[in-house]
Amino acid sequence: MSDQNGKHDELIHPVARPFLWLDAAWLKSSMIWIFLVATLGFVAVDFFHHRHEYVHLAEFYGFYAMWGFGAFVLAVMVGWFAIRGLLGRDEDYWDGDDTDEEGQS
Amino acid sequence: MIEAFYDVSPAWPVIIAGLLAAAFPLYQVRKGLALLAPILALGLWFNAPSGDHLGGIIELGGFRLETFRFDGLSRIWGLIFIIAAFINGLYGLHEKDRVADASGLIYAGAGLGAVFAGDLLSLFFFWELTAISSVFLIWGARNQAAYKAGLRYLAIHVLSGVLLLTGAVIRASETGSWAFDETLSIETLGGFLIFIAFGIKCAFPFLHNWLQDAYPKATITGAVVLSAFTTKLAVYALARGYAGTEQLIWIGAIMTAFPVFFAVVENDLRKVLSYSLNNQLGFMVVGIGVGTELAINGAAAHAFVHIIYKALLFMSMGAVLMRVGTVKASELGGLFKSMPATTVFCLIGAASISAFPLFSGFVAKALTLAAVAQDGHWLVWLVLVFASAGVLEHSGIKIPYFAFFSHDRGHRVREAPANMLMAMGIAALICVYLGVNYGVLYELVPFPEAALHYEPYTFDHIVGQMQLLLGAMFAFAFLVRMKWYPDEKRGVNIDTDWFYRRFLADTVNWGHAMFGRLWASLGNLVTGFRTRTGGKLFEVFSPIGALSRDIPSGLLAIWTSALLAIVLLIAYLAP
Repeated sequence: MSDQNGKHDELIHPVARPFLWLDAAWLKSSMIWIFLVATLGFVAVDFFHHRHEYVHLAEFYGFYAMWGFGAFVLAVMVGWFAIRGLLGRDEDYWDGDDTDEEGQS
Repeated sequence: MIEAFYDVSPAWPVIIAGLLAAAFPLYQVRKGLALLAPILALGLWFNAPSGDHLGGIIELGGFRLETFRFDGLSRIWGLIFIIAAFINGLYGLHEKDRVADASGLIYAGAGLGAVFAGDLLSLFFFWELTAISSVFLIWGARNQAAYKAGLRYLAIHVLSGVLLLTGAVIRASETGSWAFDETLSIETLGGFLIFIAFGIKCAFPFLHNWLQDAYPKATITGAVVLSAFTTKLAVYALARGYAGTEQLIWIGAIMTAFPVFFAVVENDLRKVLSYSLNNQLGFMVVGIGVGTELAINGAAAHAFVHIIYKALLFMSMGAVLMRVGTVKASELGGLFKSMPATTVFCLIGAASISAFPLFSGFVAKALTLAAVAQDGHWLVWLVLVFASAGVLEHSGIKIPYFAFFSHDRGHRVREAPANMLMAMGIAALICVYLGVNYGVLYELVPFPEAALHYEPYTFDHIVGQMQLLLGAMFAFAFLVRMKWYPDEKRGVNIDTDWFYRRFLADTVNWGHAMFGRLWASLGNLVTGFRTRTGGKLFEVFSPIGALSRDIPSGLLAIWTSALLAIVLLIAYLAP
């Protein structure tokens, strides 16, 4: 098992060492703000530039950002509640036939 | 150009190499064949005459088999199949499995043969060959789950072949034509059966679950190989025979959307990729349904880039499975610390499939979306944009995030073998190269002039796409922060396979049990009847029976006289 920041973990690949900050807690907690700012930045472009689209609905300010956000949330919620809720079963439902771990040669 | 080889389909060197590989026990020879055969096939592809060409004609039993049709459509599909065969050969270079080596080559060759087939009989031959050869890539995992899944896979694909042949025979009896071209129609019985045969292989909704059942249970290399050929061959067949069939538009739209929901909560990352594959096929099917030059270009370009980035994602998960022993998201995390190169390649595959600008998916998917919008299918267009965000969810974020980042599970494993990294590197390079130099791809599509008039890198397109992707990524971060993103946990989600794996199996078992009971009851009934009848007969005819008892001779004489009288009367009255 690694230590908190991995600096003393001898088994970490040397190429990965300069990138251990990717696992840092501050980055994980900042992701939401990074993506929010980036999204708003691209939405802001719509207020200065009129996009020409084949489907006129898509010309609305920030249409794609809203559609992307809504689609993602919808996919997750339907997947979570409808698919896992209604169709989810224990791992041995198919008599243990759905394991992948022996799938190596 | 060598004129002597004009009529030789690129399929033959690959199939012959597969047959030779089956015979050679020395694995170095087999691996040499796996790399050499696609190179020879590529040589034949380059050697083919420019313009449309029909060759490799075999007259057999009164039938004319056309084995090498080279035109705008088969050209791009043939090339990508050859590239995929080479990358697969490189990826599996470390494996020493003679059956897998042979079946992988024969399967790739059969796929090429089907693409270059000019008539339905040739198509049927290669169609069935893909099914029979590819099942060994599933069985190669050598476990009970893979064996059963392989049987189901084989049954479904042989059924597809039977439907194809039946449809072709009906059509030939009606029209006298075995042509595999745009004259196919779902309005006729033969054409409809062929359409369903293609639909099974293309994983249409409700006919799709063989894909998610079989691919995740295949060998590490097997899943990569399988991801390239079968379904894209079906897409090719639809593009060849049913371009412009409107029903395909909604079939494709549904295909893009429903796998997204399953992929969200699927724990097995190779199964996530299988759902993702289904979703990507939907885009191509929609393009074929629209049927305009731009839309067919979109389907062809999408198939081309999809084979590469999907193989790349399967390869990266194969490397994880090889090193960690599992691809269950609930067991993974933090692997970028051990497998940095695999992580980078996976991220490139994820960016490509998500259609980030500068990656191949961006320049290919744009063609289909533009064609759908231009043709006025705005509702379908909205579904496709929804599905694009869904792609980002399952393949763009879920695959790399849960395997390589997320919670570090402490797996400290070795990086993937050099040959695997080389194969992934080539695939990643193609993803980036085509994303930047999209003109190369657009020159390969069936209608290059229409494609070259399309400009994917407009300011509006880039802004719109980045809004979509960043909006979806923000949604992911938001849901994780709010703890509204479902945990990865072990389990299975039932799909349409429930009907044949559970309902049909239970029905057959119930029927078997009921038949057993019925048979037993019938046996009891017969035994009872025999016992009762035997008893009665015994009572009458046995030595101690009624007829053996002493009967007064006078009474017996009367009865004998009466019987004689009846016999005489009948004899007299009879004509």
